[in-house]
Amino acid sequence: MAETTASRPEERRLPRVKPATDIIEKEDGFYIYVDMPGVSKEHLVIDLNEDELKVSGKAEYALPEGQKLGHVEFGGGEYFRSFTVSHIVDKERIRASLRDGVLELHLPRQERAQPRKIEIQAG
Amino acid sequence: MVIDLSPFYGTTTPFDRLFETLWPSMAISQRSVAYPPVNIGEDDANLYVRCEIPGMAIADLDLTLTDSSLVIKGERKVERGKYYRQERPTGVFQRVVNISAGISREAVTATMRDGLLEVVLPKANESRPQKISIEAV
Repeated sequence: MAETTASRPEERRLPRVKPATDIIEKEDGFYIYVDMPGVSKEHLVIDLNEDELKVSGKAEYALPEGQKLGHVEFGGGEYFRSFTVSHIVDKERIRASLRDGVLELHLPRQERAQPRKIEIQAG
Repeated sequence: MVIDLSPFYGTTTPFDRLFETLWPSMAISQRSVAYPPVNIGEDDANLYVRCEIPGMAIADLDLTLTDSSLVIKGERKVERGKYYRQERPTGVFQRVVNISAGISREAVTATMRDGLLEVVLPKANESRPQKISIEAV
């Protein structure tokens, strides 16, 4: 199997993987952690469209010339996952960071709208 | 905790190999659930042990090389907070990779990049393929 992978990497389509994800609520908002081992910053795409947050990344392990794999338990993949963002999240302040193959998304809550008086204009 | 005592090439039976050739992509997903998943590669000079461990810095990992095995140990910490969804594995893990070939132990290196651990184990001279010149008498 290793030989075929090494000799024609373009022909083999990467399997689509749904990455393992944690969604946690903390005091300062929501955190989403996505396990994406092998994905570098350049191969990670995060899209926010209206209420939908899409995360995709590609991990490709090219086998160096002359190397054979004797035992295989994982391979590359195309990670894809989408989330629906609640209206209480401040979409302008969503932050993302990628470290050691884990994507961390911080979704802060929207500041509470301050109650305010509405001026009445005499017509 | 996961202890995998499988020998180096031991888990592939002839049936597994037949299955892999028929359906290569399935072979990966159907493999054992031991954590973390390990790939073992080899070329003329080195053995390569690769491991998918996202979220771990190399300082948090405990790599031990004994006479005949490489032990990868660590713990994936739990984040505090109210969980709405938890799919990522947490807790202590350990994986033992048996190494039958001779290794020059001083030259072993390990690197971690994007959650992928790579341990390079250079083969000892006696276990490398060597040409023997035959002298005519």
